[in-house]
Amino acid sequence: MSQLQDAFSLFLSLLVEALPFLLIGVILSSALLVLVKEENIIKRLPSNPIAGALMGSCIGFLLPVCECGNVPVARRLLMKGVPPAVTIGFLLAAPTVNPIVIWSTWTAFKDQPEIVVFRVLFSLLIATIIASIFSTQKEIAVLLNPLLSKRIKYAQYSAKKDHQTNSFLQSGTFLINKPGQPIRLDSSSVLAATALPVTLPPERRWETFQENLTQELRELGGMLVLGSAIAACLQIFVPRDLILHLGSGTLTSILSMMVLGSIVSICSTVDAFFALSFASTFTSSSLIAFLVLGPMVDFKSISLLLSVFKPRMIFYLLGLAAQLTFVLAICHSYFF
Amino acid sequence: MTSFKLNLEKLKNNGLQKGLDTLSLITLGSLLIKYTVTGQLKLLINPNYTALVWITSMILFVLGCLKGIEFLQGKKTASLQESQHLTLIPPLLSSIILLTAIGLGFLISPQVLSSQTALSRGVTESSLMTRTQPELFRTFSKPENRSLLDWVRTLNAYPEPDAYKGQVAKISGFVIHSPQLPDNYLLLSRFVITCCAVDAYPVGIPVHLNGTNKSYPSDTWLEVEGQMQPEQVDNKRQLVLVPKSLKIIPTPSDPYNFSGN
Repeated sequence: MSQLQDAFSLFLSLLVEALPFLLIGVILSSALLVLVKEENIIKRLPSNPIAGALMGSCIGFLLPVCECGNVPVARRLLMKGVPPAVTIGFLLAAPTVNPIVIWSTWTAFKDQPEIVVFRVLFSLLIATIIASIFSTQKEIAVLLNPLLSKRIKYAQYSAKKDHQTNSFLQSGTFLINKPGQPIRLDSSSVLAATALPVTLPPERRWETFQENLTQELRELGGMLVLGSAIAACLQIFVPRDLILHLGSGTLTSILSMMVLGSIVSICSTVDAFFALSFASTFTSSSLIAFLVLGPMVDFKSISLLLSVFKPRMIFYLLGLAAQLTFVLAICHSYFF
Repeated sequence: MTSFKLNLEKLKNNGLQKGLDTLSLITLGSLLIKYTVTGQLKLLINPNYTALVWITSMILFVLGCLKGIEFLQGKKTASLQESQHLTLIPPLLSSIILLTAIGLGFLISPQVLSSQTALSRGVTESSLMTRTQPELFRTFSKPENRSLLDWVRTLNAYPEPDAYKGQVAKISGFVIHSPQLPDNYLLLSRFVITCCAVDAYPVGIPVHLNGTNKSYPSDTWLEVEGQMQPEQVDNKRQLVLVPKSLKIIPTPSDPYNFSGN
């Protein structure tokens, strides 16, 4: 019974800790929706896939969000027409390569600055490599959640439609949106009509911002609840001692910190302080592995990622991230 | 015709959805305000983040009120936006999950983590793992003024048990019955939190009792005054507290120690 109560307290703790960061992410995502024109982003993106992936990895500097907040922003970027390679780069690197996280890691590891440097470098490298790999896939529908790819198609369709208004009388049921601009009440047209909020008049932007904020908070909040519940149960029912016992060897310490990073769904803005608890018992390489992989792979973000990608794609994405982290951490332990 | 019916149904649902959204936002904001006002937030996260939670609760609450006004005015514009948003889980289900969590949050108050969790996390007896280098070493503080965490930090900086022989200590913590200790010992412990309860790790100092530890059940809070003595326990020489007085105290309002403060 006390274990159940502890699991519930941990669940609340995760939720309360992550909510402010989720809110920051959702606010940024909604602001992107109403303020940023997709042409402005796409115009500035390099055409080279590797450069695009690297640029995506660095967007976190402009949009400082942790892993609870980067999914809504990534999803918004995709909807704005940003290539998946750039978005994947952003998704994997932004939780680490952003000023807030670098600052918190620096605060925690002032006496080991190399941990801060390698955390940023490895995250950038892994994100760029994975994003470049996925940039070879031209048909993005294969990668994305079917609902999201449908939505992107409608957005593109709507963009085209804006330029070529059909003058023929159309059949169907209409809602009167504004005088002289009825909206056809079937799902595709409703989607198309609401797909490009940037074209909205300024007075409706606040309304759209607020509406999007509520919808994303509801959906991602629901997933955060599920993710936190799973993470809290794992915390209580998998004895941490078991993982710590593995920490003695170079390989096992890296592996066990990687597993711990995935189990403990802790925000990247604060995970450096958590890693600090293991600083005296674990090798620097394993701490770096924890700090690099944790923000990319955790149960909370997996449930959020399902709203963007297909499950198989998430498996590849996270599998690659884990393998690359492992290889880089081993290289680190070998050379430093 | 069928699609017209379906869409009408959708519009009705949007009204319900808007009501649920209003309720979720207001109650979630209120729950965070409740945690902040009642001090229960200290059981969940490091007080350094209180301001952040406070701002979040205000934003959620205000957003909920704005939604509520819209809902009461019966504005229809937003119902169109509904279909623009993608949902992995249906909106209604998301709202139900959120509201269930919020409801449980109101019904079940967060509690101090139990000794069972401390044991499963591997309580560190007289050694603190939080820093590669000790962040605080109060050589000048009087031994009797040191808290349990101060003692653990001091021991961590200079782990020779004999250096503290005979020093007076007055510390409080909760009881853990460690399977590694004989039954005339208990572990007086505290959880240390760096960020939130998720990363809480226990530290403790063994207390050598005159009788069996059965009279002090696990999770009981004790204030122990006594002398530090080096002893051979669990096949290692370590510092234990030999009590002169041992008092059961109520669970303190701030049961956790926070590092980084």
